[in-house]
Amino acid sequence: MTIFTCKSDLTSMMTCIYDAWASRKGHGNIKLLREPVFQQELFDEYIHVEGDEEKAEKVLRSVRAKISPTAYIDVLYAAHSCEEDALDTIYRFLVLGFAYGAKVSSMLSYPPVMRLMELKRNVGNEAHFMHEFTRFTSIDGKVYVSHIEPKNDVLALTAEHFQDRMPSEYFLIIDDRRRSVAVHPRNEEFYIRYLTAEEAQSLSETEQITDEYTVLWRTFFDTIGIKERANPVCQRNLFPIWRRKHVTEFM
Amino acid sequence: MNTNRQMSGGERPADANMQNVAFVAETVPCIIGQPALEEKLRILADAAKYDVACTSSGVDRKGKEGFLGNARACGICHSFASDGRCISLLKILMTNHCVYDCKYCVNRVSNDVVRTTFTPDEICQLTVEFYKRNYIEGLFLSSGVLKNPAYTMERMCETLALLRGKYRFNGYIHVKTIPGAPDELLATAGYLADRISINLELPTAESLEKLAPNKSFQTILNPMGKVSSTIAAHRLAIGKDARMERSMSNRYLEKNIFQSARLAEKTGSVQLPAPVTGGELGRPFAPAGQSTQMIIGASGESDYNLIQTTQRLYQSYDLKRVFYSAYIPLNEDADLPSLGTAPPLLREHRLYQADWLLRFYGFEADELLSEEKPNFNELLDPKCDWALRHLELFPVELQTASYDLILRIPGIGPKSAGRIVKARRYGSLTYENLKKMGVVLKRAHYFVTCGGRMMYPIPIDEQYITRQLVGTNQRENWQIAHQNGARQMSLFDDFGVQLMS
Repeated sequence: MTIFTCKSDLTSMMTCIYDAWASRKGHGNIKLLREPVFQQELFDEYIHVEGDEEKAEKVLRSVRAKISPTAYIDVLYAAHSCEEDALDTIYRFLVLGFAYGAKVSSMLSYPPVMRLMELKRNVGNEAHFMHEFTRFTSIDGKVYVSHIEPKNDVLALTAEHFQDRMPSEYFLIIDDRRRSVAVHPRNEEFYIRYLTAEEAQSLSETEQITDEYTVLWRTFFDTIGIKERANPVCQRNLFPIWRRKHVTEFM
Repeated sequence: MNTNRQMSGGERPADANMQNVAFVAETVPCIIGQPALEEKLRILADAAKYDVACTSSGVDRKGKEGFLGNARACGICHSFASDGRCISLLKILMTNHCVYDCKYCVNRVSNDVVRTTFTPDEICQLTVEFYKRNYIEGLFLSSGVLKNPAYTMERMCETLALLRGKYRFNGYIHVKTIPGAPDELLATAGYLADRISINLELPTAESLEKLAPNKSFQTILNPMGKVSSTIAAHRLAIGKDARMERSMSNRYLEKNIFQSARLAEKTGSVQLPAPVTGGELGRPFAPAGQSTQMIIGASGESDYNLIQTTQRLYQSYDLKRVFYSAYIPLNEDADLPSLGTAPPLLREHRLYQADWLLRFYGFEADELLSEEKPNFNELLDPKCDWALRHLELFPVELQTASYDLILRIPGIGPKSAGRIVKARRYGSLTYENLKKMGVVLKRAHYFVTCGGRMMYPIPIDEQYITRQLVGTNQRENWQIAHQNGARQMSLFDDFGVQLMS
């Protein structure tokens, strides 16, 4: 078995798919993994693939043109998944996709198609959770800062949502897990960059800021529940404790 | 004790007046931060918490430069309160002063509670600041009746106009209308808000008369009819269908309650007048439609009554949602259940299940219940119950059955049904890949065959399947009925043990 490995950005992953395909070793004889690979196997050959804009663009273009725009979006979402088998699933899906064309998205009884749908759903759901549970703290009413820790890489999807929502505010959304940040200047497009350790450290303190509205919000949150209907199990199902880490009303 | 409460009750309005003076004299931000605002928020959120609707769905709207906010048709919950209900909107009353004396209500005029009123600016600031921190999706504004319905409604419209105008708020607003408010104000509210609602409270005119002597069916249904025909007219004017969008699954159903619907004939031709203010903002009229809510268990209606009323409301008033609220005894009254009666949560749950069957599954009220059997089965959900009474239709062959029939199998919803129909075009189905597709067979396997075989050898026998399903449902039913009945004892909370530090 030959195993192709790459970094976990989109360009590298798509290049990896391109090279794996072009290696002509047979789809059954190869596997794709994202780095870091923690446990190497004895009899497998590992090949590292470096990202290449041109190859990545070729792959994405043919997904759009030869399969369908829907499949393209599904692949993009799945690429942001944190699951280990995400890259391999995309590859298997594309093998089917280039054979069957647009109808591949409906062929749910094929395992790679179903798995891709699951990955896409998982990323989409997590992005939606971030729309719900991201909390901003205000720094003097000028800049709004929030910290998130999603499992999948949904920073861009989250920032896109808030860009549409608050186009005329300065805000930062910081992904503590990946140490990346989406910066949104007033009335401009947001961009993503990575933080240095010192920057991350100094930004981590913003979460402790309280003002009158954090107090008012906690008051509101405590008041609005009906005690005759108290139901902590339901609350935990809908708002799991691990998601509450950066949420104002539970801090 | 009593005098104390009366005193504080008497003092509050004076407090509120003083605040108004301060507000006029000083700049706006100064009122924030005074403890009075927190106290007001506590009182008015506490009074609003019994309102059920906290949805922010039904309208898609992009953000605009210079404005704050957008709206998503799917709706976004922002938190979940200790009772497990979602917090999507800043749900407050404008005031809990009320001249009405509805027996079930905590804010009725005869109750001795602390009363207060928000100023329009306070509401706007709270909404905007909460919204910027992503605490909420918008504002849910309801109110007690201050002086008279017209005055109250005018104050509410003023608040909304301020929020949309001066504060440039483009997010979601749900406004409750006050029964008996004039049409002009209703129209203004509709242009400013996304969803407009008026509470039906009780499903029959008699019980409404008994429990809410100041309200009448006429003052509730009349505005509801006018709002629905105004919405229809506006939808037609912008090239949409007169009726609200419904779940996609309804398009594939041969029959559903929305097809046979006709807007209410009586009020069909009466529309609201042009708005006094708000029209110049160029907003559509109540784009997310209207909704209502009914109280469950305060009067003697049967489930059949409630579900029929619900269907009629969907059909003739084109409501987006009908909400149910299990009655929580707050007032002592001969006409009401006594204090301490547990809220009928399981019954409320059954009604919501039935409501979903009407809106997404193509069921009709008469199929679920009848005069002879006016209440839902406590042990089984309405869909299982229906299936057991119609065993002649089952088992259903998943490879060939129509979408309508697949949707009627207990345990299979619009998503699973859609996936089955989609997937079987490209390959034959087995139980194995049904499971992989995410179709849950826990209840469904009693009612289906796949490739001519049932999952387990099961007799299609009513008694047998009933026993099995009741066993499956038992745990869930118990949990819903006893939400806070039992809990784990804790050394720390119950016996005051403290951690060594």
